[in-house]
Order: sequence, then C-alpha cells, then structure tokens
Amino acid sequence: MTQLLPRVPVHPLLRLPAVAAPLAVGAVAAASCVVVALVDPNQPGRYPLCPFYAVTGRWCPGCGSLRGLHQLLNGNVGAALGFNPLMVLAAPILVYSWLAWLSRSVAAGPTLPRFGTGARTPLVVLVVVLAFWLLRNLAWAPFTVLAP
Amino acid sequence: MGGGYPPPGGYGGPPPGGYGGQPQINNNLVWAILTTVFCCLPLGIVSIVFAAQVNGKLAAGDVAGAMDSAKKAKTWAMASAGVGVVLVLLYVAVFVFLGAASFVTS
Repeated sequence: MTQLLPRVPVHPLLRLPAVAAPLAVGAVAAASCVVVALVDPNQPGRYPLCPFYAVTGRWCPGCGSLRGLHQLLNGNVGAALGFNPLMVLAAPILVYSWLAWLSRSVAAGPTLPRFGTGARTPLVVLVVVLAFWLLRNLAWAPFTVLAP
Repeated sequence: MGGGYPPPGGYGGPPPGGYGGQPQINNNLVWAILTTVFCCLPLGIVSIVFAAQVNGKLAAGDVAGAMDSAKKAKTWAMASAGVGVVLVLLYVAVFVFLGAASFVTS
C-alpha cells in the first residue's frame, strides 16, 4: 500500500513531530474508552453487533470485549473476565505497547522494549487466540465460562 | 497488493544493525492483537499469522521475506480496523436514517 503511493517530499516545517502519531492514537483510544465506560453496551441497540456473530451465530475471539471493557473501565475486573478474558489479558499489553511507542518517539528519556520481539511470542499469541476461539464455542462445561 | 518483495529499504527505511548485527523489523503484532480483540473480525487473526512469520524468517536470515510478512500483517490489521470502522459508520447512518424517517412519518 505504501509502495503504490508516490513518496511526496514534505517541507521540514510542515512535518509533524514523531510524537504526534502516538498522541493521536492515545487521544482516540481515550475518547473511545470514555464513550464505552459511560454508554453501557449491555443495552441492546446502542452498538453494532459483531459481524462474525451476526453472520455465523458463533462467537469470535473479540466477542464480549465491548461489554467487558465497559466493566473493566468501571473497575469490575471479575465481570470483565466473564465477558472476554482475552481482552483483559490484551489490555495491559496494549497499554504497555502504547507507552513503549511513546518512549520511542520521544528523544529524551529511556526507551521501553517493544512487545512481541521474542522468537516465539507471536506464535504463542496465535495459538492462544485460536484455542480461545475454538474453546469458547464449545457448548459444555467448563468451556461455557469462556463464552461472553 | 502488487506482489513480490519490496525494494530493499523501501519499507520504513533500512533496518538498523546492518551486517553482523540482527536487524530489527517491527512485526506489527500489537496492531494485530488490537484489531483481533476490538474489531470483532477474524481478519485480525490473519494479521497475527503474518506477524508470527516475521521473527522466524528474520532468524533464518530471510530479511526480505520478514519485511514482506510484516507489511502483510500491517495490511490485514488495517483491513480489520477499516471494516470495523465502516460497519460502525453504516450502523450510525442507518440509525440516523431510521430516526429521520420516523420523525417525518410521525
């Protein structure tokens, strides 16, 4: 995608500082969290349904993450785990990765190491996500606790 | 998406390290995780699959292949996020349309 677009030289005065990208993403994430914390996704019709669930009737690995995030942002970790334990696991990784991105974009101060550079880390993530996807769709105990 | 490997240094500049040192390539794993968990679409999993190829190819010395997989991981994460955003916008548009329709008919 980046190859298809010609690289247009940008005047140095118009170029955004490196810190602009993590700050913009952080602002969007914070605003989204405020909306999800205040507008309860348990009330039907407020947010769109997961397209995978709407089409197949099965849960995807992300199903329940909106309701879970609402609980997590309101301090109910247990309820959040009940909706989507993968989301609760991913949340600190995402927050840390954002901090690491911010630290890389600022010249001063220490630079936090990137998540996922270990030889096996991405593979572990893949196996965990696929196993979670399969197991949460099984209709018998103890796997039913993984359903949202 | 064009196909083939990107020209050396064409994606995100040349990897630091050079000869002797292990070059670092961002495998975009975190974007893949983000879109898998929050965009509610299995497209994010395709992104994780490509992200998982990067470190292995890099360890095997296949720098061009690692860069190609990293680029695909990024593309699929963007596709997952894009589909999520489009669906939300469609949903909002339908609600605005229904709201306007009920306002007109009532």
